[in-house]
Amino acid sequence: MASLELERQIAALHPASFAWALACTRWNAADAEEVLQSAYLSILEGRARFDGRSTFRTWLFAVVRNIAARARRRRWLESREPWRALLGASAPDPVEPVLAEERGARVRRALGTLPARQREVLDLVFFHEMTVEEAAEVMGVSIGTARTHYHRGKLRLLALLGTEDLP
Amino acid sequence: MTPGDDEARLRAAMVEAHREDARRMPRFETTWDPVRRPRTQRATWRWAVLSTVALAAAVGGWLVARPKPTPAPWPVVGTRWVGPTDFLLETPDQITLRSLPTLAPRGFP
Repeated sequence: MASLELERQIAALHPASFAWALACTRWNAADAEEVLQSAYLSILEGRARFDGRSTFRTWLFAVVRNIAARARRRRWLESREPWRALLGASAPDPVEPVLAEERGARVRRALGTLPARQREVLDLVFFHEMTVEEAAEVMGVSIGTARTHYHRGKLRLLALLGTEDLP
Repeated sequence: MTPGDDEARLRAAMVEAHREDARRMPRFETTWDPVRRPRTQRATWRWAVLSTVALAAAVGGWLVARPKPTPAPWPVVGTRWVGPTDFLLETPDQITLRSLPTLAPRGFP
């Protein structure tokens, strides 16, 4: 894909990619921006290549998800380095920043209690309007697995939101 | 509540969760430009290194493969070398010694 065309497509998907990166980083805007930048870099450097086997959006979301997962793993490992414990330092606090918009914050808190895959599939299906099959592609799992996460996540989130005053 | 209602509710909940996204979203250029610029710089740096290596290889190859100049033959000198102190050997007797008189054959009167 020509670099100008690539840039145009990425720019068009930037808001959706950022929303997805936020969902992958538990709504931490700084982490989401870092993840998105790393995703763009790996695309520019050719480490992530679009081969046309899926839609461009599905592929881009998969790249973002992989990079977010890698960043999460790296942070997890860093938080377990022995010298940190000796120095009494702690890993970056993943506490979600307090947001003015309370209702959205309540939903995000509810989503935060779900396992990552359930959260991801719900976000892809209900916010990004993907099919479960597309979500499975983004998540790198089989369709059956994605369906299981979708159903379990749906039930769990509905139960969590049951008492909430949501539309 | 029907499954359709549940899905509509979840969809609305997701929209609520993402309501603040646009406000927090960095501009595309803010995210894109810093990753594009280093790439250009890296490319320039890579080209500079490659050019230097290619130039060094070309010069090295030329030095190895260039036609060797044939060594100039020793000049044939037709003159006798005269040392700077040879004059010391020039003694008055030398002339005498070199010019011994020819002895007359025996019996010559």
